[in-house]
Amino acid sequence: MKSLPRVLISLLLLASAPAHAVTIEMSVNGLVCAFCAQGIEKQLRKFPATADVIVSLEQKLVAVALKDGQDIPDTELRRALTNAGYTVKTIERTPTPLAELRERLNKGKP
Amino acid sequence: MSRWFVGLAGAFALAGPMSVMAKPIAFADGYTVMAEYGAGTMKEAQLFYAPRYDFSVGGGHVELNSDETAKSRRINYARLNYLVHRWNLDDAQANVFAWGGLGSATGNTFSGTLLAENAGAQADYETRRVYGSLKTDLQRSSAFSHRIDTLQLGLAPYKHEYGGVATWFLVQARQYTGGIHHGTESAVLLRLFKGGAWIEAGVTNGGKLQAMAMFNF
Repeated sequence: MKSLPRVLISLLLLASAPAHAVTIEMSVNGLVCAFCAQGIEKQLRKFPATADVIVSLEQKLVAVALKDGQDIPDTELRRALTNAGYTVKTIERTPTPLAELRERLNKGKP
Repeated sequence: MSRWFVGLAGAFALAGPMSVMAKPIAFADGYTVMAEYGAGTMKEAQLFYAPRYDFSVGGGHVELNSDETAKSRRINYARLNYLVHRWNLDDAQANVFAWGGLGSATGNTFSGTLLAENAGAQADYETRRVYGSLKTDLQRSSAFSHRIDTLQLGLAPYKHEYGGVATWFLVQARQYTGGIHHGTESAVLLRLFKGGAWIEAGVTNGGKLQAMAMFNF
């Protein structure tokens, strides 16, 4: 019985996390110039887990599509963006496929 | 040289964040190649490699030809660029850079090859629609001293997006010291960039071509 609260907490944590995080969305400060932002793609595509990258100046967003079952630690993501010259505000993992996110961005939706 | 270096960097830091978009440091593990034609009085080419996001090393060649006299200089230099500070803001970015280097100079008002010293600083501020930059670059030797100060202000007619073509309209004011050009040379410029390629061209108040191309990779 003592272990019941632990089990419940674990279940709650699992329920709050995306079932299958396929995309990492990062809110980035200083993202105003596409020429200067070329380094973002270069840095993020170095990770073996990266399948694709999109950058949106309008939404101040950088998104990475992950390869199946893979991930990139937050510390590595922050280091990559620092190396590209930018500052990461937030990092979020979502089950939204990158194609869907790209379509949303093309329609001007955050 | 260190006295100038600190003085110039300090002066621009105090001037506050202005803006220039032609930055001497691209990104970590990135290259910057730049060539500029400055109205016949200045021609310059540079190549820099950035091992980190906050400094780059490389070199360049600059030619200065006076439009007042027959004075000319040819300078080759090795240079280190340093990002003194960067502000990554919600809707803007601002930077202060400083640099210094050594090289060799030849010219038609002295004999032989002289040791040349180079120091400079740049401050910039940019949003997706507005930017400004202030840059100073000093080349000197025992036989000459030339400083080139450049102010650029720009407006974008639309907010460009990553992957698209960016368009900027600029005004530029430039002053040379050491008898290269008398007074302030002004220019209007059109700047376009897409991906890692950047070109700009325009005309000065003297009717001469002012142009620049730059590539980051």
